[in-house]
Amino acid sequence: MPNLNSLVKVFFLSVVITVTSTYFFSMSKKPDTQLVEFTAPFIFGRFQIPKENPLTVESVKLGRRLFYDPLLSKNNKISCASCHKQSLAFTDGLALSVGGSGKKLAFNSMSLVNLMWGPKHFFWDGRSNSLENQALQPIVHIDEMDSNLDDLIEELSEVKAYQILFGQAYGELNAVSIAKALANFQRTLISSNSRYDQFLRGEVSLSKQEELGRKLFMAHPDTKISLRGGNCIDCHSQFLTSGFTAAFDGFSNNGLDNDENLSEGLYGLTKLESHRGLFKAPTLRNIAVTAPYMHDGRFKTLEEVLAHYNGGIKISKTLSPLIVEADNLANMQGEHISLNLEPHEVEAIISFLHTLTDESFLINKAFSDPFTAGDLNE
Amino acid sequence: MNKHILIALIGTMLILLGCTDVQESTSVGTTVSAIDTEKNVEESQAIVLLSGLPTLDTKDSIAIIEVDPESKNFGNILYDYPLPKFDAPLHHLYYSPNGRLYATGLGTQCSLAEIGLARNAQSKPIITKVECIDTQGQSVGEDIMWHSVNGKLHMFVTFMGGTDLSQVDAGSIGVFDPQTNKVLKIIEARKSQVGEGKPYIMYPHGISAYEDRMVVTSTVHPNLTDGVGNAVTVIDLNTFEPIENIVTEDAKPVGFPSSPVEVLFIRPSIVEGVKPAVLVNTMFGFETWKIPYDAKTKIFAKPEKLYDGSTAGTGVPLEFYGNDNELFISHAIPGLVKRYDLKSLPELVPSGKDIKSELGAHHMIFYSSASGRKLIAIQNNLLNLGNAKDNDPTDVDFIAKVNDHSITVHDLTTGERLGMINFKDKYMKGIDNIEALFGSGFTHHH
Repeated sequence: MPNLNSLVKVFFLSVVITVTSTYFFSMSKKPDTQLVEFTAPFIFGRFQIPKENPLTVESVKLGRRLFYDPLLSKNNKISCASCHKQSLAFTDGLALSVGGSGKKLAFNSMSLVNLMWGPKHFFWDGRSNSLENQALQPIVHIDEMDSNLDDLIEELSEVKAYQILFGQAYGELNAVSIAKALANFQRTLISSNSRYDQFLRGEVSLSKQEELGRKLFMAHPDTKISLRGGNCIDCHSQFLTSGFTAAFDGFSNNGLDNDENLSEGLYGLTKLESHRGLFKAPTLRNIAVTAPYMHDGRFKTLEEVLAHYNGGIKISKTLSPLIVEADNLANMQGEHISLNLEPHEVEAIISFLHTLTDESFLINKAFSDPFTAGDLNE
Repeated sequence: MNKHILIALIGTMLILLGCTDVQESTSVGTTVSAIDTEKNVEESQAIVLLSGLPTLDTKDSIAIIEVDPESKNFGNILYDYPLPKFDAPLHHLYYSPNGRLYATGLGTQCSLAEIGLARNAQSKPIITKVECIDTQGQSVGEDIMWHSVNGKLHMFVTFMGGTDLSQVDAGSIGVFDPQTNKVLKIIEARKSQVGEGKPYIMYPHGISAYEDRMVVTSTVHPNLTDGVGNAVTVIDLNTFEPIENIVTEDAKPVGFPSSPVEVLFIRPSIVEGVKPAVLVNTMFGFETWKIPYDAKTKIFAKPEKLYDGSTAGTGVPLEFYGNDNELFISHAIPGLVKRYDLKSLPELVPSGKDIKSELGAHHMIFYSSASGRKLIAIQNNLLNLGNAKDNDPTDVDFIAKVNDHSITVHDLTTGERLGMINFKDKYMKGIDNIEALFGSGFTHHH
């Protein structure tokens, strides 16, 4: 039987814990935050921000710091920004990214732009269904940042700045708030001032070549009405130039491999055979600065990409029917699938793709490395 | 034409058709227990032009409203952007192919405007600007159409008031650069100037085009007193010159010229493989006409009357709208929308029962409810002119009678009325136009 002294001590300790935890709970659960203000093009469509993770100034500030902080990796050398460089529209210029282990990863680094719109599954193979879920995966991946979340939380807790920032944004420092902050910073990466955007707003006109490219981009070829098309819009939407939002409409097999060499792609998530070889149709925003291309970075240039669609398509059982039937010559499709675009049309589409570069996005200070930008104390 | 005669004739027309003021009916909106959270809730939101009513001391505005009868917000204004005071209300909203929003205006101070539409950080639609466009003196804007001429896109706008509203045969087509909104050309050919028997443009309202041929209607002088038209004008888009007038007039049920109002060039982009033809609604003739067109010879054949409202019990046919399967025509009197099989066009083969709305049936949108029910919302207002009973100085009797100031919402399949919003009762305003936030229903409008 415990003695009275012990009981008093236990009681006193429990009171202290209760009082302090209640105090900290009340302090931590309701930080005084301010919502981010911005306007976005109406034509991008409606977006949704999770109710449990409102887009606050504090969370974005925290997320930006975390994004650029190598503390997030086990070796303290790799940050998210190592594979997502702003000047390259948050890609890394490599065919396959290389993480902390030094091994090549399975995929090409995806551009991080306009993530509030487009497909609601992230990564090339769609394995993540939210930005919050996506955010932690590279941190714990053995070949990427290889962090142990408990160790990371402990490490971040020792940094005074993070104690303050987590307190201001979420009231507590844990894996969930790390994920939320990274997700919210990525939500703010909005690109809407390319020449194409300016064209859509009526501020500039496109050159004849760019305009031809735009028209080809937006058209599925139809020889019956003499409509020539590059067929891009079938997978890359008109304004966002990303994959479509509904269900898995934003995923497609674009003929990179035949059945023998078909990668799993979306099949890895859904286990549906019809999804084998389907990968996310990425945004084409800033595509001119995000080479190399495709999920495995196999094409070094936009010319190679266009050459693929213009004669390099490989047939497989899940090849997109929209690609199969897209031909600018009547009754030509058979074993050899091609858009059959003229060389000047290929050049025009590439010219249009260059209008998707948003120079202001690539140098926007709000998206830059806070450790070098000198605004950590803002 | 004398205003009093016009009013008397229209009054007669209303009596002939047995129309009386209709009482507001109440909403019978259904409810659903579970809303699909993945569904885009904006699909059931409409953008509307609202007019302040002089005797009710309300002001013009652009509003976003909820039109899903299943929503607890049904009929609520979700966003309201007050408009500057112009000499006449904005009349009709249009989305450009690049998603820019425009409005025509019925006055001289702002006959054409671009409206800035954006999203705030909560993803809510907001209006950032209403910028009146320099029309170089053209006034009373009606319809807008974007059409390519020799591979280059142009924005065409009909101005019933032309370059001088005091002209009794006013009217012009403004050709604008769709990027800069600058006037490229004014197509004007007044009857009194071109000479007897020469093609003219007068009070242009409806507009449609196919390849290098554009058609505009000759409706009525904006002051509703100086004259009424009875023809469609064909414009050669290679020269931007009018080349032919085609009269679409027959019974004159109210003794007036027929007043062609909206036109639709039925073409392969609307119905695959169709033999092109122009459909014309005549506002005072109560008829729908077909003008066959041979694209090879570029010859328009003799017009054929497809529908006669004076025998069918309808009057003032107005708009053409379409979806993937059907063409819809609104008839302001007695207030209904007729529906036709799209594939059978240019013939008018009924595809279902009339959708009974209210006096003034005019513009419409198509969308789905939260539970996935396919809906049509019809704006019931011819023009937002007032009623003398209210000591409203803008009164024109017949127009007051065809202004129900309402939107009725119907099941698209059955026509069953599911709800009604009366803007005069609820907001002390009239409603000039309805457009979906997504621009649905626009495809086959012109």
